[in-house]
Amino acid sequence: MNSHSSIDILKTKLSEFNLAFLDNEHNPLLQINQGDLIAVCKILKTDSDLDYSMLIDVCAVDYLTYGEADWKTNDATSSGYSRAVKQTIIPDANETFVERFAVYYQLLSLSYNRRLTLKAFTTEINPPSVPSINKIWNSANWFEREAFDLMGIHFKGHPNLTRILTDYGFIGHPFRKDFPTNGNLEVVYDEEEERVIYQPVSISTRPSVPKVIRDNNDRE
Amino acid sequence: MGLTNKDNEIINQQGPGFVITSVDKLVNWARTGSMWPVTLGLACCGIEMMHSAAARYDTDRFGVFYRPSPRQSDVMIVAGTLVNKMAPALRKVYDQMAEPKWVISMGSCANGGGYYHHSYSVVRGCDQIIPVDIYVPGCPPTAEALINGIIELQKKIKSEESITNE
Repeated sequence: MNSHSSIDILKTKLSEFNLAFLDNEHNPLLQINQGDLIAVCKILKTDSDLDYSMLIDVCAVDYLTYGEADWKTNDATSSGYSRAVKQTIIPDANETFVERFAVYYQLLSLSYNRRLTLKAFTTEINPPSVPSINKIWNSANWFEREAFDLMGIHFKGHPNLTRILTDYGFIGHPFRKDFPTNGNLEVVYDEEEERVIYQPVSISTRPSVPKVIRDNNDRE
Repeated sequence: MGLTNKDNEIINQQGPGFVITSVDKLVNWARTGSMWPVTLGLACCGIEMMHSAAARYDTDRFGVFYRPSPRQSDVMIVAGTLVNKMAPALRKVYDQMAEPKWVISMGSCANGGGYYHHSYSVVRGCDQIIPVDIYVPGCPPTAEALINGIIELQKKIKSEESITNE
């Protein structure tokens, strides 16, 4: 095994780029400017000391309501857990901002048994976009289609950026924070028309923010 | 069956006659003895459905074995999560089945949306799309539970008066 830490190697090899390391040495998270994305990825894949030959996953994160939650997150472990709270935070797409979305790339170096997470914020508002890395790792093709389908990220240069999971003719991007969990349409069979039809959704909305315990008071 | 109004009057007064009830029993015996389900595994329930058909539980003992075509099927076992995108295809498969036909809804998702009840992409129960005869609860139901559902459906079919009911 190479005695240098993987972060040192990355810093040497990518010295010309503006980098930020956000996590520890064993699980490095490397934030880069999206303008550098293609160049950085090419080095990560082709350099023999890095050799990140495999792209494990591409995912997108919506920071619209980041850090806000209806759940009790800080004092839950000392005061008791709350359940089924009312929704008070209603995400509003009009409050969007430039760095609302980030795209994460999970890389694996098979020869060095190392993993790396790349993070790049989108820069444009409508639509948010990043360059496609499909030409560097072919596995990015469907990953980027999925991120486009569910989050509405436009990957510039993708050969076939179409929906991959949601229903035919689906409107919206369901993993965005301002998309209602229940959706807007539901399907039922219509006896008179003798076919399956769409109608407005019949159930009411409920909080969709997962419960996260940020500080565990039990340990104090 | 060419029953006249007078025949119906007699049936209503005295109950079904000796010959007709026996024909009913014969028809229902034939129907319950060869319920061929259309293979419709949509999620993890499909795995349990496979278990029920495999060597240990062996639903072929009841004459239940799976067909790849709705044209050859009597029963539809909706085994798993029915999503919006799948719903028109499911209805089409159901419509292609020959009469008489029955539906078993297997598992929480098919019964009422289950874990995904509040999702934007899941049908809240397959009875929104097709009429259901038997609901099998569970997430997923065991192979035994599905077999129990099949036996319940057999009982239901046996209680039907397919000829005298007109």
